[in-house]
Amino acid sequence: MAAVICREEELEKQEMIPGSVDNIPVFVCRTSEGEIRAFIDRCPHQGACMSKGKIDGAPMSTAPGEYSFEHEGDIVRCPWHGREYNLRESGKPLAPVKGKLKEFSAYVKDSYVYVELKRGS
Amino acid sequence: MQTLNNEAKTNQTKKYSLIDTDIHERVMYEDLFPYLEQPWRRYIEDCNWQQEKHMPFTQPAVAGVDRADAKTPDGKPAGTSLPFMQEQLLDANNHEVGILTGALDPSPSSMHGWYEMATALASAYNDWQINEWLDKDSRLYGSVHIAAQEVGNAVKEIERVGSHPKMIQVLLPIDDIAWGDPYYHPIFEAAERHDLMIGMHHNEPPAPLGKWPRYFIEWHSLIATSHMAQITSMIFNGVFEKYPKLKLMMIEGGFTYVPFLMKKLDQQFKDLRHEVPWVTTMPSDTIKNRMAFTTQPLEEMSRKEWNLLVEQMGTDEIICFSTDYPHWDYDSPDEAVPKGLEDDVLERIYGENARKFYPKLPARGDI
Repeated sequence: MAAVICREEELEKQEMIPGSVDNIPVFVCRTSEGEIRAFIDRCPHQGACMSKGKIDGAPMSTAPGEYSFEHEGDIVRCPWHGREYNLRESGKPLAPVKGKLKEFSAYVKDSYVYVELKRGS
Repeated sequence: MQTLNNEAKTNQTKKYSLIDTDIHERVMYEDLFPYLEQPWRRYIEDCNWQQEKHMPFTQPAVAGVDRADAKTPDGKPAGTSLPFMQEQLLDANNHEVGILTGALDPSPSSMHGWYEMATALASAYNDWQINEWLDKDSRLYGSVHIAAQEVGNAVKEIERVGSHPKMIQVLLPIDDIAWGDPYYHPIFEAAERHDLMIGMHHNEPPAPLGKWPRYFIEWHSLIATSHMAQITSMIFNGVFEKYPKLKLMMIEGGFTYVPFLMKKLDQQFKDLRHEVPWVTTMPSDTIKNRMAFTTQPLEEMSRKEWNLLVEQMGTDEIICFSTDYPHWDYDSPDEAVPKGLEDDVLERIYGENARKFYPKLPARGDI
């Protein structure tokens, strides 16, 4: 099953547009390179609505006390506990824990963004 | 209309009476003005006076220390709007009761100096809380704020508002005062007179070293140690022997530290009883019979892990569910508690333990 979420032109980088497919809450967004992605709009931790969070980068490090800000525009952060998921790595959490943000297939047809309930790549 | 969030998918709590034991309403200073007499108001209006902040951290989550989706529709800080809280929390989760624990930035009792101002702020806050929240929603119950540094004034404030039918506890911040000290006992005596329990909630305690650690994650990981310090102070200063009706709710420290503390205090008491001969009850029994603990922030755990903790405590009747709305580490009523707990357990932790703890809460279904 697939459903239209928004017009392609409406979707800017670092924005999330929520919608639903067959009563499953989803959001669509763009990666830092402009690719359109779709994920479940529900944090696997406690169920917060991810689209009320923020697409951001993430502090990373190779040694204590050293910060680098990476993945800018590719990390979605939960509005509650702030958990981070990588949009370009199929919703993989940045902390070493189980529980990806489930990705769905997104595509553009006739200038509209569709989400299909089969799993994304 | 799209719901405010997508939680409540399992609707676990819909089966139970939900008493949420930690909700943070928030006041803006200008909202206190109608309740704040002169000269105090002018220092805020004319001089931009603010309470000193102790905690140097604001970075935990997307919107600082609040849920990013809890800012009000008109852009005001989370927790400042009763209608929005009703919609986002109380209605969405089918609360029977919500207990307000405040956010008076950080607390009059945490001020270092100008205790007269602290006393005035506490009074204004209590009046604001009653008029703007408690009297406007039958589900909400409140906490008496005091400036405890001048204990006589604190007692007067408890006498002034403590008999309000919806005030159910006196709130003391966990900060740099150990509340078991006999200087503060008149507060407990006044609370007992009004059937108020004591609630303790950390504000900005510099746990654990008497100064701030380098990172927020260090401080937040060790908050429970500041709760342990207060429990230890209250027990060994004999508060529970001296005030036989008084009970203590430890708010926002969770409960998973309690098995350790019970064992440790009992062991110490067996050897060192002679130093505190006014203590006549085993500490673990005092904890079981005179204290309760709000759940949030509840560590993620399995049913088996939950049951092991309860087995070590010897009871689950001291565990009371809380959300900590609208803060960043909010616990969802439907998601935070391990799956698979028995119905009677859930009924106790979601509501009945808190109802039993607070004598001024209504009987089930009476709201």
